[in-house]
Amino acid sequence: MTTDEAPAPGAGGAGRPPFDTSVANQARIYDYLLGGKDNYAADRAAVDAVLKVAPVLGFSAKANRAFLGRAVRYLAAEAGVRQFLDIGTGIPTAGNTHQVAQAIAPESRVVYVDYDPVVLAHARALLSSHHAGATEYIDADLRDTDTILGRAARLLDFTQPVAVTLLMILHVIPDSDNPHAIVAKVMDALPSGSYLVVSHLGSELLDEEARQGFENIVNRMAQQQYIGRDHEEMARFYEGMDLVEPGLVRVDEWRPDAGTGEPGRSALWGAVGRKR
Amino acid sequence: MSTVGPSGGEPFSGLDESSVDATVLRILLGSQLRRLREAAGITPDRAGYEIRASRSKISRLENGRVKLKSRDVADLLTLYGVTEEGMRSKFLALVDQSNAPDWWTKYSDILPDWFETYLGLEAAAVTIRSFELQFVHGLFQTEDYVRAVARLRLKTAGADEIERRVAVRLKRQDLLNRPNPPRIWVVMDEAVLRRPVGGPTVMRAQFRRLIEVAELPHVTVQVVPFASGCHAGESGSFTVLRFAERDLPDVVYLEQLTGATYLDQRSDVEHYLEVVDELSSEALTPDETTSFIEQVARET
Repeated sequence: MTTDEAPAPGAGGAGRPPFDTSVANQARIYDYLLGGKDNYAADRAAVDAVLKVAPVLGFSAKANRAFLGRAVRYLAAEAGVRQFLDIGTGIPTAGNTHQVAQAIAPESRVVYVDYDPVVLAHARALLSSHHAGATEYIDADLRDTDTILGRAARLLDFTQPVAVTLLMILHVIPDSDNPHAIVAKVMDALPSGSYLVVSHLGSELLDEEARQGFENIVNRMAQQQYIGRDHEEMARFYEGMDLVEPGLVRVDEWRPDAGTGEPGRSALWGAVGRKR
Repeated sequence: MSTVGPSGGEPFSGLDESSVDATVLRILLGSQLRRLREAAGITPDRAGYEIRASRSKISRLENGRVKLKSRDVADLLTLYGVTEEGMRSKFLALVDQSNAPDWWTKYSDILPDWFETYLGLEAAAVTIRSFELQFVHGLFQTEDYVRAVARLRLKTAGADEIERRVAVRLKRQDLLNRPNPPRIWVVMDEAVLRRPVGGPTVMRAQFRRLIEVAELPHVTVQVVPFASGCHAGESGSFTVLRFAERDLPDVVYLEQLTGATYLDQRSDVEHYLEVVDELSSEALTPDETTSFIEQVARET
């Protein structure tokens, strides 16, 4: 067991998850939903139970991954962004942020942030940068914005635009930890022309029965909570920013690639906004 | 895997014949034989009887640990009710393909069977994760280090045999530089760096080699220093091999003096995956490891 940084108990639900394979863990749940093999029996049991009550979440996870790819591609190719701050990296799979960005602009610099020590070990091992660009890894909780910004500034130039990606992570932050203030603090440190990419479980995108069933399973079986937020709460993350077309939509409706099926099915809100 | 149907109508799903190498093909064919047998409601004993073999032979065959014989497979397919000629001939053609000779066949006289199996699995893996407690990982050893280890193990062997063993080990390292190489992620105990195999000169060259391979984009090297106290790797050295095919479970390889154990039951494999995940997060990061090896080299 990792003992040098024991989880801080209480603190508004804050604190990093200890490495424990007997309970489901967000990063490994997502890995399993995406077809990965870095997951354990408890993760698969939770996912299998969730998919029975809310089958749309299986599609939603894949749609989220595809949204990440399209959003980063847009930012690198059309918006000309060369610096990325990816908070809530997750276990590496195909099409990670730096791979998508560096395929378009090899000089892209990407900072990955996660609070899960096993995720970070995987990220350090597997997310090797193109030699023209750079990647860095920060071991920090999203709530610890000072650490994130301080360390990220070693690799990223905060006088140039930075794209911040917060995909399927804000749902672990309860209202008592003020997720809107956290996002605002990160964006405040960045210059005009920076971007914010968020995907978030939409509270009104699951019907009541699926939502209840999902919450029950998560409370019983998982290390992290999954707090849904509605369209209005999601829009507040973008206060004072301009949303890139088509605005705040379901992730699979955001600039879908041709031939990827009928959009509008995922249970996740997604948007890309530009700081004025 | 829960997302794959129990007997799946299509017998070769997820199997792109042209790109799959012999060992993976054998594992896939074996697991397909198991599915067909289970779908037909036939016990391993009954299947063994059909091909004049034991129950454990059926198990080894279904796990891809032994070569498949066309005649046995043809008999099993009949027993399992696979009579459609097109499907049978496709299956049997794949059996032939899975028996193509490997590069190490010419070293068979000096290689135990269980190590040949490992070479096949290693070459077929997309990810190789190892924990090393005593020796530098075989894929990273310098020629002099290999020779020193071979002499240690084979005190009575002639120079000729030693040299052939050295040749096999070095040939095996071609894996590192082949197109589309596997991800190799090795965590080693500090003891590996401190044990002077072949003496200080050999060790210093070995340290340079370690730093060099760690630079490769598909290689990760991490050290667990003595200073970190007890760690999760008390079980000794092991390797977890992962294959690209979604259907194939990870395989844990444990080497002993007279043989090797392969674990591919998920409940067993997950213990090792857990240990290697834990070790990787406790160990020095890849960057810290490079500095650490440089420091040990200065002290050697």
